[in-house]
Amino acid sequence: MRKRIRQQWKTYMGGSRMAAAGCIVLAVWILLAVMVPLVSPWSYSAQDAQIRNQGASLLHWFGTDRFGRDLFTRVWYGAGISLRVGILSALLNGCIGVLYGAVSGYAGRRADQVLMRIADILSAIPSMLYVILITLVLGAGVGSMILGLCIAGWIGMARMVRGEVLRLKEMEYAYAARMEGICPLRILLRHLLPNAAGPIIVNLIFLVPQAIFTEAFLSFLGVGIAAPEASLGTIIQEARSQMMLYPYQMLFPLLVLCVMLLALNMAGTAAERQAGGQAPAAGGREEG
Amino acid sequence: MARYTCRRILTGLLSLFVLITVTFFLVRIIPGSPFQRGGVSEQVVEAVEQEYGLDKPLLTQYLSYMGEVLHGNLGISYQDPSVRVTEIIGRAWPITASVGLTALAASLILGTGFGVLSAVSDRRGVKHVLSAGGMVAAGIPGFAAAILLMLVFSVKLKLLPASGLLSPIHYILPVAALSLYPAAMVSRLVSSTLETELTKDYVLFARAKGLGRRQVIFTHALKNAYLPVINYIGPASASLLTGSFVVESIFTIPGLGREFVGSITNRDYTLILGLTVFMGAVVILVNLITDLLCAWLDPKTRRAYREERA
Amino acid sequence: MNVLEVRNLSVQYPGAQGAPDIVNNISFTVEKGSITGLVGESGSGKSTAMLAVMGLLGARASVRHDGITVSGSAPVPGKNVAMIFQDSLSCLNPSVKIGRQVRETVRARTGCTRKEAAARAVQLLEMVGIRNPALRMRQYPFELSGGMRQRVVLAIALACEPELIIADEPTTALDAVVQAQILQLLRRIVRETGTALLLVSHDMGVTAAMCRDVYVMRAGEIIESGTAEDIFYHPCEAYTKQLLKDAKGGRLRVGEAKSGDEGPAGEEALLRLEHVTKIFDEREGIRDISLEIRRGEILALVGESGSGKTTAARILTGMLREDAGELYHNGQVLKRGRRMDSFQGTVQMVFQDPYASLNPCLTVRRALLEALDGSERLRGLSGQEKEERIREILTLTGLPQEAADRYPRAFSGGQRQRIGIARALVTEPDVLVCDEAISSLDATTREQILELIFRIQRKIGFACLFISHDMYVVRRISDRIAVMYGGHIVETGKTKQVCKDPWHPYTRLLLSAVPEPDPIRASRMKSGPARESAGNPGACTDARCPFADRCGYALECCGKEAPGQYRFGDREVSCFLYSEEHSGRRGSTYRMTSQI
Repeated sequence: MRKRIRQQWKTYMGGSRMAAAGCIVLAVWILLAVMVPLVSPWSYSAQDAQIRNQGASLLHWFGTDRFGRDLFTRVWYGAGISLRVGILSALLNGCIGVLYGAVSGYAGRRADQVLMRIADILSAIPSMLYVILITLVLGAGVGSMILGLCIAGWIGMARMVRGEVLRLKEMEYAYAARMEGICPLRILLRHLLPNAAGPIIVNLIFLVPQAIFTEAFLSFLGVGIAAPEASLGTIIQEARSQMMLYPYQMLFPLLVLCVMLLALNMAGTAAERQAGGQAPAAGGREEG
Repeated sequence: MARYTCRRILTGLLSLFVLITVTFFLVRIIPGSPFQRGGVSEQVVEAVEQEYGLDKPLLTQYLSYMGEVLHGNLGISYQDPSVRVTEIIGRAWPITASVGLTALAASLILGTGFGVLSAVSDRRGVKHVLSAGGMVAAGIPGFAAAILLMLVFSVKLKLLPASGLLSPIHYILPVAALSLYPAAMVSRLVSSTLETELTKDYVLFARAKGLGRRQVIFTHALKNAYLPVINYIGPASASLLTGSFVVESIFTIPGLGREFVGSITNRDYTLILGLTVFMGAVVILVNLITDLLCAWLDPKTRRAYREERA
Repeated sequence: MNVLEVRNLSVQYPGAQGAPDIVNNISFTVEKGSITGLVGESGSGKSTAMLAVMGLLGARASVRHDGITVSGSAPVPGKNVAMIFQDSLSCLNPSVKIGRQVRETVRARTGCTRKEAAARAVQLLEMVGIRNPALRMRQYPFELSGGMRQRVVLAIALACEPELIIADEPTTALDAVVQAQILQLLRRIVRETGTALLLVSHDMGVTAAMCRDVYVMRAGEIIESGTAEDIFYHPCEAYTKQLLKDAKGGRLRVGEAKSGDEGPAGEEALLRLEHVTKIFDEREGIRDISLEIRRGEILALVGESGSGKTTAARILTGMLREDAGELYHNGQVLKRGRRMDSFQGTVQMVFQDPYASLNPCLTVRRALLEALDGSERLRGLSGQEKEERIREILTLTGLPQEAADRYPRAFSGGQRQRIGIARALVTEPDVLVCDEAISSLDATTREQILELIFRIQRKIGFACLFISHDMYVVRRISDRIAVMYGGHIVETGKTKQVCKDPWHPYTRLLLSAVPEPDPIRASRMKSGPARESAGNPGACTDARCPFADRCGYALECCGKEAPGQYRFGDREVSCFLYSEEHSGRRGSTYRMTSQI
């Protein structure tokens, strides 16, 4: 089992130091996001008027915000929410994208045209609109945020998988499989998709930072995750009104967010290099 | 190629039509009335709704809106009934476009420069530094970069203005925040495709026939390496031209993105709709131009076009 | 007097510690105005050595030598040496017009004005036999045929006015007929300009036809050198002898007791194509093809690239859908579009590229099991029977049993091709289609695979459609032969008869264009009429004979209407020379003979 894991790691991540660094940072971040809210003596939501806007100290490592909440606890709690949103929506988007792209690419012709046009239209509408709609219908929260990200987030993945399937479909071994009389679904699952595994995994890894980023900026703009839940974006947004006076309130969550995204990007880039650079970047980012 | 162009324009128009329809109904799904606010009585809300035709059946509303759109009219803002949506766009878009185009130019120039440097440099250190820098630039989200830049240059050092768009100096921070990501992507694309191109036989042959290294890189290899860049920069420029929600709201630039955020906080549905339609149209148009440009740059499709005409 | 002198050249790629030199201490000379050959298998370090001579290896490799001189001075690419490469398509910049690529070379060499450079470019293109150079200069590389591109590359090399041209496999990517033309052109250029030529090749035939002096290279070392006569008639080294033997090709049929030269071919048509047409555009496609594959025979389909061989095979297997025509399988019409299903795995294919034809994610055993599972007829097999079958097929194709659990990436090209054959044969098909199955392999492996296909076919007796561009291979393996040109089948017949006595002018050209590894015979080698067809070779239109432009025997009617198929016993030929109008009415006892 252990050998197998190591082998898989080698296949998809290669032996690079970048991959290792990215994954270690990520592991530390996940650990902190899980542990800090559990063991911290402070609550992420309890307000305390006595200790408003304090600087960093031994007691409050990142200081406190304008409601007197401990920022250290709050930042890691927010990081946990961000990670949860990112990973869950990346997984969902990955599944939808792979299915959609594979069907579109394998069916070809008319069906392909129609499916891709639908994807084009969905991606032309700012994802902000979807998230707002869903939060208005279902109420603000992690669930509706994930749902909102899943309406258009899979399109890059679908385009990539479609391209790969179109390419692999013309490979000689795909023809050989058809000649052997194997049914189309099995050809797709057995012969085509496994050969696209490299780019799919790369894309999947890149979907996580993308989702985290989109969530952060939506929360920053005030749509999405609302109190008492807080993501990094929300925390940054809250600190914004006092930015000139207490810049550190903004700096800490910002740094935690940036390092998290960087680590994810490093892992993704390492996987991309391993896959031979054949995986296209997951499409231009929307509304940077 | 002429047929291809026609087909692409037609599908573009069709996409735009579907986009308008989908957005129209999406916006109408939102529960509650746009005029429901604290302190406003039921009667007033109903009266205003009647005035705007919101009491009619949804289909009638849709048809009349489509009719308006066909005449180039996107309705009036619910928030401020004295202004038409087209006026707001006409006011905000030049501002957004001027920032966006500057950022586009900056990212192309910087990206190409760094990309070429990274691809042709013999020193491994240069490559490492450039690729690490590229990764940081691509990994930091635009709004984080914007805030960091602002914290450092406006709040701490007080070197650059933090808001507004009064003089060229005001452009520096927003353009930097906007172009960071595209510049990193362009640099990455240029360096990786250029590296592949440089291993190709035609480069070796060009060297064998006595051309200098610089000439081979700039007149031969870069020409072939630029196609993926154009493919990327098309959609990227679309998002730059429709304005960044975050960067505009952080630096308080009165552009499209800020209008959009404002319209959402105000639940100004005609404005949301109008802005979405406009942005969608820009995206579709820019993608169309990119596709045509790519087809045109490929000698094979261009030649097919010539033959078709002859 | 020597133009090029290379003394003790060694090349090593850094990084691989203690790796042997790619090129190990080689010395050679090229005499002024002569053609010198450097011959060896792929991977022997020939190309690396040449790049080292040119000084183009850059920082990737460490090069050591005791002196490389061109007429006494150091070699400067584009000044006193020039080089041409194998693949003319990849060594011309795809997005730059031909004219600019020639002009910039002229300008880099002489520093003249644009106008002078353009004039010189026209001159050069004319010199290498390109008609209408003004038009060609406005075109992009992909618009030219392979032969024409190689001429352009040569023109660019000549633009450097070098004292020496190094040609690295200049004709390997070309069809036999075009190869013969290019070789003739190279000879003419050397004669006219006095430039020396260093010809690097893996092909003993090409070397024999061209060179006065020959160096034989193996694993980075020169193991034998001498005049062409010495090397080809009195080789000393065992390796040289082996190369010569592989080039000449052993007789495949040795050791076969059955019915002499005739295979076990029956007369019954297993698969029949009738008037099949598939058109991609004016240049590509097949027109009105009729062909039958009989039970138990090897039918060869031969022709240059772009002649429609692969299209025909793909229609036959159902990978492509024909525009018109009928297909019969065991006498029954096959429905268009549903063909792959109705075959139920009885038609299988071995592909050209062994690297693309195996799914990299499946082990050999899994790939074979997939084939067994897919086959309708074999659905009832138990797991044990399947295992048994896999074991058998591995033995038959000469693969070790351990191979079953490895992934394709663990195998070399030749072994992969064996796996490909095993995969195709494990379901016991009636028809095996080999599409250029050996052309991407090097000489020795090629011989082995060829022998393997032949041996298994004779043992099991399936029908085989063997597609190749190589007349030399085809004449040894096939029972019957069908020659394609420009989307038409121009001649069919028993291999022995067709090769001994070709009737169609194109068949004759194809047979004569194969260079033999024998300097004296090769020097008599006639290249085809050096007429170059206007567009790509094989512009296939219905209204004329496709070969009329290049045919030395063209009649007036050839350019106006398409010849029919004229049948004489077992032979069929599509040429007006054999029509009744031309050769006169004949009685039923008349025996047709070659008209050319």
